[in-house]
Parts: sequence; C-alpha cells; structure tokens
Amino acid sequence: MKKIGLNAVKHILLLILSIIAVFPLYWMIISSFKDEAEIFNYSFLPKKLQFTNYVYALQQMPIIKMLWNSFINSTIQMILQIVTAVMVAYALMRWEFKGKALIYGILTLTWLIPFQAIMIPNYVQINEWGLNGSLAAIILPNMVSAFACICMYQSFQSFPKALIEAALIDGSGEITILTRVVLPTMKASIASLGIMLFITSWNDYMWPMLVVKNLESAPIQIGLKSFVSSDVNLWGSLMAATTISCIPILVIYLLLQRNIVDSFMKWGIK
Amino acid sequence: MDILIQEQKKKALRIPMTRSQLGKKKWRVNYKPYLFLFPAVFLLIWWMYKPLLGTLRYSLYEWSMVPGTQAGFVGFNNFVKLFRNKDLGIALVNTGIYILGMLPFSIIIPIFLATVTQSLKDGAKKVYRAFFFIPMIMAPVAVSTIFQWLFHPSNGLLNHVLVNMGVFENNVSFFTTQGLARGVIILISGWKMIGFATLMFSSALSGIDKQYYEAAALDGAGRFKSFFHITLTMLSPTIMMMLMMSVLFSGQWSFAYIDVLTQGGPFGTSTNIYYLMYKFAFGDMNVGVCAAAAVLFMIVFGILALLLQSASKRVAFYDN
Repeated sequence: MKKIGLNAVKHILLLILSIIAVFPLYWMIISSFKDEAEIFNYSFLPKKLQFTNYVYALQQMPIIKMLWNSFINSTIQMILQIVTAVMVAYALMRWEFKGKALIYGILTLTWLIPFQAIMIPNYVQINEWGLNGSLAAIILPNMVSAFACICMYQSFQSFPKALIEAALIDGSGEITILTRVVLPTMKASIASLGIMLFITSWNDYMWPMLVVKNLESAPIQIGLKSFVSSDVNLWGSLMAATTISCIPILVIYLLLQRNIVDSFMKWGIK
Repeated sequence: MDILIQEQKKKALRIPMTRSQLGKKKWRVNYKPYLFLFPAVFLLIWWMYKPLLGTLRYSLYEWSMVPGTQAGFVGFNNFVKLFRNKDLGIALVNTGIYILGMLPFSIIIPIFLATVTQSLKDGAKKVYRAFFFIPMIMAPVAVSTIFQWLFHPSNGLLNHVLVNMGVFENNVSFFTTQGLARGVIILISGWKMIGFATLMFSSALSGIDKQYYEAAALDGAGRFKSFFHITLTMLSPTIMMMLMMSVLFSGQWSFAYIDVLTQGGPFGTSTNIYYLMYKFAFGDMNVGVCAAAAVLFMIVFGILALLLQSASKRVAFYDN
C-alpha cells in the first residue's frame, strides 16, 4: 500500500511539472480562439472556436510571407551549417595533421564570444555590402555553426575507419568516400542535428532584429515582436499570431519528438 | 599487385614509409584536411573572430554609426564614460542575479525531481519527456508574448488567480514594478530550462552504477549520506554542464524577454549587461561605449569561464 502511495506522489510531481511546462502553450492556443468578450473572463475552454482573431492577425501583418521568410532562412541556414559541419567533422576524423588542436580550439572558443561583442562590426559589414534588410543579411553570419561542427565531429568519431581503408583500396577519391561511405552511415546524426539547427534558426531573435528593415522581409519572430509593440490590447489576435509562429515548430516536434529529444539529450551528455 | 596495395594502404594510414618511398614524397604535405576545413574556419574567423578585433578597436574610438560620419580616436575615454554610466552597476548586479536565479531551476529542483522520480517505469517517463521538452523548443519571442498575457496587470490569469485566492488585494503590475520585473524574467528563464534540466539529470541518474549504492549500503550508509557522496559526485559532470548552460543561456534568452517585456525597465532594474550593451549601441547610438562594455565583459567572462572549466576538471568525476 505504501508503495502505491509513494508511486502516486512521484507521478503527481511529474504531472505538476508537465502542466507547468505545457500550460503557457495551452493558454496561448485557447486564448487565440476566444473572442473579444470571452478573452477577459479566464475560461479554461473557449465556448466555441472563433477564428476572428486569426483573420484579424492575418490582415494586420503579412504573416504568410513572414512564415515563408522564416522557412527559407531556416532551411538555408540548416543546409549551410550542416555542409560546413560535415566537412569539418570529416577532416578532423579522417586525418591527423598539423594544427588539429588549433582548429578544435577555434571551434570551441566561440562559445565564449557573446553576440554583443561581435554585433556591431558585423552590422557595419552588412551595411557596407548594402545587404541591410535582405534575407542574405540574416543568413551570411550564420553560414557556419561551431556548435554544429563540434556535434558532428563527435558523431563522426564513432565511424569505423576500416570502411574508409576499404574504400581507399578500391581507389576511391575523398569526395566519393565522404558521400558514398561516410554520409549514408551517419544519416541519423545528421538529420537530428539538422532539425536542431532548423529550430534554433527559426527561433533566432537578436541578429535578425538588427538587420531587418520592414515586415515584408522579416522572419516571423520579428514580425511577432512588432505586433506586440503595436496592438497593445488585442490579446486574442496577439495569441493567434503567436500560435501561428509556433505551428511549424510544433508540427515538427509532434512528428519527430522522440528524435529531437534524444538528440538534444545526447548532445547534453557529451 | 601486392606491393601496390601495400603502398596505397601505407599512404592512406600514414604509416612511416621505407627510405626509398620517402625519397620523392617528403616535400608533399597532405593538403586535403585543410581544404575540407577551409570554408568553415574561414567563415568563423570572418564572422566571429575578426569582428572581435573590430569591437576591440571600436572601444578606443567614438562613433555613432550614422552613415557618412567617421570614427574619432578617443583612447580610453569610452571606458571612463562606461564606468561613470549610472546603469552599469545595476546591469552587472542583475547579470549575476539572473545567473544565480536560474540555478534553482536548472540544478536544484531538477536534481530533486529526477532523484525522487528515478524509479518510475520508462514508458511513463517517455510520456513526461515529451511534455518537459516543449518549453525548450518554443521561440523566446513567443514565450515573451504568452507570459506578457499571463502576467497582464489587469486581465492576466495570474493576477486573477492571486487576487481571488487572497494573496494580493489588488492587481499587480509585474513588469512595471521595480522588484518584480526582474523576478518575472528569472521565472521565465527558469521555466524554459527546468524540464530539460530534469531530463538531463534523470538520464544521468540512470547511468550511475547501482553497485556503488549496494557497497555503501553494506557499509551502513544511510539514504542521505549515499545521496551526497555517491549521487552528487556521479552527477557532477552534468551539474557542471547545467551550470555552464545556465550562464550562457541566461544571457542569450533573457535578451529577448527583456526586449519584448520590459526594455530594461522599470528604471533600469531589469536590464543586464547584454541588454545594456545593445542599448548603448542601438539606443544611444554610442558604438564606443558599447564596445568598451564588450571588452570589459569579455575579460570578466573569459576569466570566469576559464575558472569554471578548471573547476570542472577538478570537481567533475567521470566514472571510467
């Protein structure tokens, strides 16, 4: 009997934490469906699903365009960061060479650099190139992610070198080895890392905020921020806009939840 | 044929070659790794390290980023201005408070939760995992708007509940009350981290070898003793990692929360050094002071990070 009681307590504790974790999300979604009157009465379930907030939000801002901007931005960043990370990981795993420690140092020391220490020169640079306001401005400084390189290198370290030797004896060139031998084996790690990079760049706020000049070319996070600053009292519509901004990530999460959690945790443990 | 294959193998694995083989190849350095590394390393240097030097340079100049103006050399003037700035003190203090405030949510509570729920079945744990992880993947801007609504002074759910429960008499304006704005930011940062931290500790706990506990029990150690000596020691790498993550993330995430919710107010009570730097550059248009702050910050942060890393090497106990 005592054991059942103890078990129940454990479940209750975790249940409470789950509710705390999910409640803001829940509140956002139901608030987005409440109309003007209902939103001020704290009901936990909307009386009926009103889409007026969504209609209003879509009218006020070019939300679809901004979602598209975010999508393009995140996809390109993810691809570029993966490609550069794969190349770095391959080089570090495949060869012993002079300067290996230096390269690793360059990669790991980047976490010491706060965004604010580099934002001004990068901002000036983007301006000098006349790219201010374009998607390229957001993408260029993020073409490489040191974090991705290190993760990828750690994943690659588990690759059996014997396969490379075999390929070499067959007379394969490096690119062939990379693409035909190494990559197919590491598909899972690459996919997991890719998802993490996509989510990170989707949620990115600081840098895009500096270089984005108008809503049309803004990613969804920046658009959301400007909605916050403008329509102070239309909470329903604000929640609708916020919900829309979260939908792609939540969909990805629902589909790939186990994969995402596993890979975040694997990274954490390493 | 045999000899050809052998030579190829040796070349590929860089086994020392015989004298006759070395004769021709001695001068040829293997350029391939550098080729593969070049794009990433070049880009990192261009967008991360080169700007650092740029910031260093800006700290000695005065500039307002207005197109057409030139930066003028002012030596250490910016640093003087920085130390005279009234917001610097509180920004530094707040930065520390934000980090310390994160710790209950990223280390203390998660360890407690993970330990208490250790024995639950894996299937149940997987379900909870799915929920715990959601705060981690939500965008800081989205999180800010939701909490702004939840904590709204007249119509937010929290005020409604607190007033109805009798905790407060009147509605509280969380973001414009001097002590509370900071507290709310800490709560939000903590909320984001707590689920993830609990997962990390839970998984680290399952990795601890049961034999340690059995040996301790045989020696007559009680529950508390074995917790402190065994559990905490084995968890030390994870603790150090969560410590480093708290330091890192409390800076980054809090930026979005502060920018959307309080803009550093009221009266600068919720600002931290990161936000202050941003304000210097893009609010006051004073590149020089921002850069000076960045230099100061990097020195302090660099020292702290190195201390953390060396402490981590000494304190963290790896079971292998």
